[in-house]
Parts: sequence; structure tokens; C-alpha cells
Amino acid sequence: MATEYGEGYGFHAQPGHPGSAGERRHRLPAALRAPVEGRTWRELGYVLLSLPISILLFTYAVTMVSLGAGLLVTFLGVPVLAAALAGCRGLGAMERARARGLLRLDVGEPEPLRAGRNGLMGWVGAVLKSGASWRSLLYAVLQLPWAVVTFSVTVTFWSLGWSLLTYPLWFWVYPVYGGQDGLQLYGDETHQVYLDNPFEITVTAGVGLLFTLATPWIVRALTMVDRLMVHGLLGPSRLATRVVELESDRGVVVDTAAADLRRIERDLHDGAQARLVALAMDLGLAKEKLREDPQVAAQMVDEAHGEVKTALQELRDLARGIHPAVLTDRGLDAALSSVASRCTVPVQVEVDLAQRPAPAIEGIAYFTASELLQNISKHSRATWAAVEVWRSENRLMLQVVDNGVGGADTSQGSGLAGLAERLDAVDGILVVDSPAGGPTRVTAELPWRAEQAR
Amino acid sequence: MRVVIAEDSVLLREGLTRLLTDRGHEVVAGVGDGDALIKTITDLDGRGMLPDVVVADVRMPPTHTDEGVRAAVQLRKTHPGVGVLVLSQYVEERYATELLAGSSRGVGYLLKDRVAEVREFVDAVVRVAEGGTALDPEVVAQLLGRSRKQDVLAGLTPREREVLGLMAEGRTNSAIAKQLVVSDGAVEKHVSNIFLKLGLSPSEGDHRRVLAVLTYLNS
Repeated sequence: MATEYGEGYGFHAQPGHPGSAGERRHRLPAALRAPVEGRTWRELGYVLLSLPISILLFTYAVTMVSLGAGLLVTFLGVPVLAAALAGCRGLGAMERARARGLLRLDVGEPEPLRAGRNGLMGWVGAVLKSGASWRSLLYAVLQLPWAVVTFSVTVTFWSLGWSLLTYPLWFWVYPVYGGQDGLQLYGDETHQVYLDNPFEITVTAGVGLLFTLATPWIVRALTMVDRLMVHGLLGPSRLATRVVELESDRGVVVDTAAADLRRIERDLHDGAQARLVALAMDLGLAKEKLREDPQVAAQMVDEAHGEVKTALQELRDLARGIHPAVLTDRGLDAALSSVASRCTVPVQVEVDLAQRPAPAIEGIAYFTASELLQNISKHSRATWAAVEVWRSENRLMLQVVDNGVGGADTSQGSGLAGLAERLDAVDGILVVDSPAGGPTRVTAELPWRAEQAR
Repeated sequence: MRVVIAEDSVLLREGLTRLLTDRGHEVVAGVGDGDALIKTITDLDGRGMLPDVVVADVRMPPTHTDEGVRAAVQLRKTHPGVGVLVLSQYVEERYATELLAGSSRGVGYLLKDRVAEVREFVDAVVRVAEGGTALDPEVVAQLLGRSRKQDVLAGLTPREREVLGLMAEGRTNSAIAKQLVVSDGAVEKHVSNIFLKLGLSPSEGDHRRVLAVLTYLNS
């Protein structure tokens, strides 16, 4: 199931709704503006186009599918059916484009076909097995009745509204050419009502105005159903969207793992390895000197001894950077206290967890905290910092606060961006609140997974 | 002997300098990356003060991949008279092949660890400076192991394989004799046997011999 974190932070904009931020301010209230707005005309155009297009879609879909179904007894049936479905997919793409252009509804492509085998049969199988194909077919069939409804309602309301509204301008046509006094409102053998005096004409125009004003909203409501249909039947399924998301997450995980390995290799190469080579060199020289100049040799051995200690220190730091033993043994509280003690500013650590999270989550929380503390040491010029870890329902929350200069940068390529990417890969998020001048508050949110029995 | 060192780790650069100076050689320059190495050599060439040999690390800034090898290959083209000894944390037969492309004159490729054996290391530097070859035993082992001529190599006696390995490292007959504690004559006999079994024409001079062996192993 899709887990949606961070909606409250406005991270995920709802798809398919045009942003309101870009809309201009108008003097007229929305109700009066609506009949002449560009959006209304576009929606009207959409509705008017819907009918011919849906007839085309329906005819195509029904013909092809019945042809395919009829031919099922022969070997041609299945390929014809597949071709029908593929055609529906193509028409679906056209419909998405129409919705994008006229309804400003941006619906992504559905999941692509995944052919198990090459060749015609592979393609046929993929088309028939793909849910998106069948959903396009359903759209092609459902579109027609709905288009008939929307078309008739819209055309009736729109034309009635505008013709009544403009009635004062053309009512004179009746006495001159029609042989009657005005528009006939009611009539039987004995009694007729014509709209012919100024009061009736004004009322007619008023009714027309009401219709005209109501039409855009009716059209909007009707196209809402079209939006839902395009979104639900022609877009990617929820599952497919999640798969795309997971695929990208997996990419990040693999990339981060590779980057970590490269970093470790670099650290080893430039650090301990180089030191040990230098050490070997020193000892080699000392060995040569041993006989001819024992005093120099002793000095060299002394230097080498110092080298060894530095190399050991470097190796220890590196190992801790890969995975601190204390984290595995004693959990976040102990591990974070140890990181905090190495920070250049005093850090208050508070871990409020009744239970330990899964090792992977624990590790990410640890590295997030230690990277944030490192940032504090390096950049913040803070005099005080605090790390807090707690659980909130199904999330593990981590907050690092300092009283430094603020202005932490989350732009692309920064350390924080990398951290955010890592968290994102496990469906977590990173929220940075760091105004210039401080204080900085970084909150990380991770999905809670309990520790499996070890 | 005049040496230029290209090594990004200051620690190792100083160590190498100390080691070579201690043995009475002159380190004319120490640089930290491939471009600087090329520039230094060009400068020295302009003043007519080309060094005898360049000792270069494979991995240097900016990309920390194979700058050293690329600089070395370029130097071998532009300044064939300068010996190039490439040092590396790991031994990659591919780098060796690139370095040896065309000629094995004045070229060396050694594992960094070899500096621990000070005497042997300095010998290797001198050998390369004098136009000889110094290949790391591990490179040779990789070449021997990877060679598609395994059936022919299997026809060699263990002693002959040993001699072939040392030959590929770039050692002279007398050096091989010393290493294996046998007479020069015995080594010569092994060498001619090897050439016979591999179907190579016995060539004059050590470096041509190395080249012949390497070409054979690589083909």
C-alpha cells in the first residue's frame, strides 16, 4: 500500500488541478465573470467536441471488439482484439491531450506495455494482459452516453440562456416576420400568453441572465465527471504510480550505496592505506640503516611507531563511519550520545523510544543525526545543540536544533539535499527550517518499522 | 639519477623523496597531479634538464582514477627518453598493457607496497631510468593467468615458468640467476628453452625480450 507521508507539509501537490497561485486578481466577482472566462470557453469547447469524438470512439471500440470477439474461434480473433485495445490506448493518448489542452488536466501516461517475449505474440499478450488497455476500452464505451448527456444539457442551457438574455434585442422579429406579438410562453385553443410588454421582456432577459450565469457552473460540474473518467481510466493506476516511485527510490538506494562504497574506498586509499605504505617505507629504510647507523634507524622506528598509531586511529574512525558497533549493541541513545560527545558544541541528546526500530531505520536515523551534527560543528557557529528522537504513531521522528547562524541550504547538490534523498528512498522526509540568523531546526521523519526478533 | 615524483599524498611524496635522496639520487621536482607532471616535464625539457625517470602514482586529482597512467602514456610519446615508473595501490593488468603498448623501453609498473623493500625498489627505479623494464610480479602473475596460451604455458617446467615470470618483470639474465641462485649459464639455457617452446625468436637485449614475452602473453 502506498504510504503518504508529509502531506501536511505540502510536499505532494494534487495532480490534475491547475494551480491557483498563478491566477490574476479580477475586479468582477467570479459569478459574473464565469460566462465569459477563457476557462468556460475551453470547457464548452471540450463538451462540444466530446460528442463527435465519443461517437467515433464508441463506434471504433464496439466494432473492433465485436469483430475480435466474433473472430475468436479463428486464429485472427486474439490479434484483432489486441489491435482494438491498442487502438483504444492510442485514442486514450489523444483524449489525454484533449483534456490537457481544454480542461488543463495533466494526466500521466499509463504504465507501458511489458512484453514478455519479442514478436507479435509477445505484443498481443502484453496488450491483452495490460489493465490500462482494458481501462481505455471502458473509457471509449462509457464516454458516449456521458457525452450525449453533457452535450444536450450544455447546449440547451447555453443557447437558452444567451437567447433569452438577448431577447430585448430581437423580440421585434415576432411582430414583423412571425405574425405574433412575441415569444409564446403558453398556448392552447382558448388562451395564449405572449411575452410582448416591456415588463415581460425584462423578466425574460433576467431569466436568460440567470441561465447564462448558471451555465458555466453546470458545465464545470459536468466536466468534473470527464476529469474523473480521464484521470481514472486513462491515467496510470495507483499501483503503477507507486511502482514508478519505488523504482526511482531503488535507484537512489543503489546510487547511495555505490557512493558510500566509493567514499569508503577513497577514505581507505587516501588514509590508512597511504599511511601504511609510508610506514612500510620508513621501516624498510630503518632496516637498511640498522647496521650502518643504528641511531638514525632508531629515530626512524620511532617515527614509524607514530605512523602506526595514526593509521590505527584513521581505521577506527573509518570503521565507525561505516557502522558504529555501539549502534548495533546499544541502540540510538548510546550511539547518538557518542556522536554528540565528538561534536564541537555541547549537544543535548534525548531519545524517547520504548522499543528499538528496525536496524535499517535505526542506521538511517543515526547517519542523519550524525551528519546534521557534523554540519553544526562545521558551519553553524552554534553554542548549543539538541537532538531529539521520538516515535509518533507509525513514524520515527528525529529533530536536530541548534542556535547557530542558520541559512542551511537544501538546494541541489548540498549535503542536506543528499540527506533528503536518502530519507526519501525509505519513504521518509526531511524538513529544514533555517532562516538566516538562525536558529536551525531540521526534522526528519522516517516510517516506523519495529525490530524483527534477532 | 634525476627523478621527478608525481604523487598526491604529501606523506608518500616526502617518503619517496627521502628514500631516493638517501640513496644518493636527486629529486628535481614533486607534483600532485597529472597535468602538473606534464607541465613540469615540458618546463624541464625547455631548460634542457629532463629527468632520467618519473615516478608517478596512478590515482591523482582531479578524478582520482587513472590520471597517472594517462600522463605516463603521454610522456612516453612526447619524451621517449624519460623512463616512467607508475606506482599503484592495486595492480591492473589493463594499465600495464596500456603502458607497455608499443615498447617496453624505460617503463615500470609496480605495486606501492614494493617501496617497503627499499633496495629492490630503488633498483627498479634505476632500471627504468636506464631504459629497462620493471613489472610487478603481480602484474606478471595476472598476465600469465589471463593468457589464452595456457596449454602452451602448461608445457613449461616449473623452473621455466619461474624464469618466464622474472623475465616478464624485466630482469636481466644475471639478475634472474642471482634471484634463483643458479649460474648464468643455467638461466640462458632455460631462456632459450622457453623461447623455443613458445615459438618466439630469441631476441637481443632485455627490453625486447620483455616485449616479446608480453606480446606473446597478451595475444
